Amino acid sequence: MFDAAFLVRRQAPGLLLSGACYAGGLFVGLAVSAFLLVQAGVPAGALVDEFLVATFLTSDGLSQTLTAALPLVLVGLASAVAMRVRFWNIGIEGQLWLGAVAATWVALGGIGPEPLRLPLMLVLGAVVGAAWIALPLWLKLKWGVNEVISTLLLGSIAFLLVQHLLFGVWRDPATNFPVTAAFPEASRFAATGWGQLHYGFLLVGAVTAALWYLLDYTRVGFYADAVGHNIKTARAAGLPVGATITGLVLLSGALSGLAGVTIIAGTEHRLSQVVGNGYLFSAIVVAYLARAKPVWVLVVALALGAVFTAGNVLKVFYSISEGMIVLVQGTVLISILMAQFFSTYALSRPS
Amino acid sequence: MIDTLHQSGGRGTLFPGTPPALDLRGIDKAFDGKPALVDASFSLEWGEVHAIVGENGAGKSTLMNVAAGVYAADGGEQTIDGKARSPRSPMEATAAGLGMVHQHFRLVQSFTVSENILLSLGRDSRIRTPAQAAAAIAAKAAEVGLPVDPARVVADLSTAERQRVEIVRVLLLGARILILDEPTAVLSEEEAKMLLSFVRRLARQGHAVVLITHKFREVAGFCDRITIMRHGKTVMAGAPVADIDEGEVARLMVGEALAVSERPLSSPGAVNLSVSGLTQKPDRFGQGLNALNFELHAGEVLGIAGVGGNGQEELVACLTGLSRQDQGSIRLGGRDLSRASPYDRRKAGLRIIPSDRFETGLVRELSIAENLALTQVAKGNFGGTFFLNRKGMRHAATAAIQSFDIRGASPERAAALLSGGNAQKVLLARELDAGMKVLVAHSPSRGLDMKATLFVRNAIKQAVEGGAACLLISEDLNEVLSLSHRVAVMNRGSIAGCRAIGDVTPEWIGALLAGHV
Repeated sequence: MFDAAFLVRRQAPGLLLSGACYAGGLFVGLAVSAFLLVQAGVPAGALVDEFLVATFLTSDGLSQTLTAALPLVLVGLASAVAMRVRFWNIGIEGQLWLGAVAATWVALGGIGPEPLRLPLMLVLGAVVGAAWIALPLWLKLKWGVNEVISTLLLGSIAFLLVQHLLFGVWRDPATNFPVTAAFPEASRFAATGWGQLHYGFLLVGAVTAALWYLLDYTRVGFYADAVGHNIKTARAAGLPVGATITGLVLLSGALSGLAGVTIIAGTEHRLSQVVGNGYLFSAIVVAYLARAKPVWVLVVALALGAVFTAGNVLKVFYSISEGMIVLVQGTVLISILMAQFFSTYALSRPS
Repeated sequence: MIDTLHQSGGRGTLFPGTPPALDLRGIDKAFDGKPALVDASFSLEWGEVHAIVGENGAGKSTLMNVAAGVYAADGGEQTIDGKARSPRSPMEATAAGLGMVHQHFRLVQSFTVSENILLSLGRDSRIRTPAQAAAAIAAKAAEVGLPVDPARVVADLSTAERQRVEIVRVLLLGARILILDEPTAVLSEEEAKMLLSFVRRLARQGHAVVLITHKFREVAGFCDRITIMRHGKTVMAGAPVADIDEGEVARLMVGEALAVSERPLSSPGAVNLSVSGLTQKPDRFGQGLNALNFELHAGEVLGIAGVGGNGQEELVACLTGLSRQDQGSIRLGGRDLSRASPYDRRKAGLRIIPSDRFETGLVRELSIAENLALTQVAKGNFGGTFFLNRKGMRHAATAAIQSFDIRGASPERAAALLSGGNAQKVLLARELDAGMKVLVAHSPSRGLDMKATLFVRNAIKQAVEGGAACLLISEDLNEVLSLSHRVAVMNRGSIAGCRAIGDVTPEWIGALLAGHV
């Protein structure tokens, strides 16, 4: 039946068509996800309850959703700023781990005066996260080494370093488990008193606003778009191509590192082997669905935060596995990507 | 010329009494309303090597692509071996016994030669395994005398070897009519000779071969007859090579339009651009540059003619600052720009219109306003470090759209949605600004309709009258001749000659284009 079919690029997909495709993709993704969850043993009636009411419409649920969304916003932004210049940062988890390690070093060692402890953790985490992506960046700019491979593998190295530390010098002396001791108060974000939410949300909000301004209202965003879409033209037009790529990629690493600090200083209050798991995949999902736009990253991250919150409840009450939650994310992502594809291409069959 | 059009009846036929291997009559073809072939004809006999020559864009490749089923003709008749056949796909053409080897090879790099050939054999072939394919390839290669190793991976093969694979593939698919599109353009002298001798041998064994070429040397040495095309028309059909000399070929290729008048410089200005000893080693696919020297005066257009692929792209890349020469210097208005960045070159007054608008000129996905502002933002013309004045960009774009009469455009519209002519106007509006001292324009009217072409040429004329200097690089001789004060010809990365426009003759330019002198 498809012996002879061609994909024809649509000239200018209108806002209506794009919107309809996006919404259609989202709907299909949610429907398939609902079907999967019901098959896995969640009562159909509980779905709306868990995914909507218990995540946004109750006070506890909302604070839980917001808390879960904070690191998602940061890693989503990290993925998005690199994506803008067509740099595929697949090492977000690595940079996140390294940022967390740097912050843990400050927290456990009691480095610096107490009032400056948390700011120091944040700055150092960001710097170390940026440093961890500097090597793949240099390799790519200098030798054309594919960053997908180099960032991904450096992520594994970062995790091995974390394990080395947790099974070695940082092992909790009280329990002998491979987790660090709990951080002192000075190394934590203060709690707001509303559920688990901590004052890290101010930082995340400020960072998002700053990036939104940077990418939409300064020349950085302008350069990034030119470089990302057509690097040769950007070069020929005399734009600072190298500086744009370097700046945004380092920023991406810094944001990942900052996400690591936010997780351990905000909710976990210690470094363990699980704090950074799964953020790479989520970051890509968020950045893709948000089309690498900071404000949309915020929106998508909140939605994903709700999925995580609901997932945690489902895990407890209906013994749904962690894998199901990842599957739901993946299903929604894939169906929206497919819908986007058909808003860009039309299927044409010659008569 | 008309009397030479239908003279093929029997002349040059090595197998008397057989119908022509391939006969095309009255072929018309237009792309987006722009005629590429107008009543073109071509006749090929069994046993001959038949050259098709013509300038770039004369329609040689288009006509052969019609014959091979790649393009569908808008009108006309085609016969293959005496039977009316108009193949609607390359597969149908091969089934009818006609195969074409394109300039860009169609091989899967990571597959072996056998696998590649197996891939194109199709469902009906009796050859079904790589081993069978290898045996068939070896047999065919031995039969025609063309060395090909079926077991090797295509990525490891040299260009000449890949070409041999393509030829064996076409023959193995059953082609007895072989069309080669500029086969020697990618080969060394030695390899070219070997290929052409092979082609001649193949024809004598009873095949028929079409050779698309620019080089008269190859025509004289290896072909039986020659067909010359110009502007989509056949201007000489199947004349025996022995009866025609190079001067006549050059004259027919280039046409009468060459009659040019003196175009004195109103006031020869100071030297704006001086290039000396510009040398670049060839990269894997490209052409090198050999010690180019030229000077460009204010108020002057220096036209560089030449067949595409002789170093024009490389020269533009070097001038733009996208690639760096190995030796030589570029000076603009006394400033040494040899090692300067594209940004500094622009600041010094260099402006570029590249041959491919959307490769190094415009960004498809960005809006017209953004494309117009592309070279301005870094200079701080639309706000400082902390704010980008998008409103200002839109206002400037609205003004540019009006003054350059860019149709179908609004500042917010993506550049990709513009027609070729209007996209070129956007580029002109951006490049022809007050700061321009030297304009490098590469095929500025390629792909444009008559009206847009005139617009572009007038814009260049006005820019030059305003005191800029223009280096016009074009494969379209008409364009070079209609604008230039001096004409140079580029061949194999060198400037083969340079004359004032009044001294340019068709013989001189034809000989330099074909690589003689």
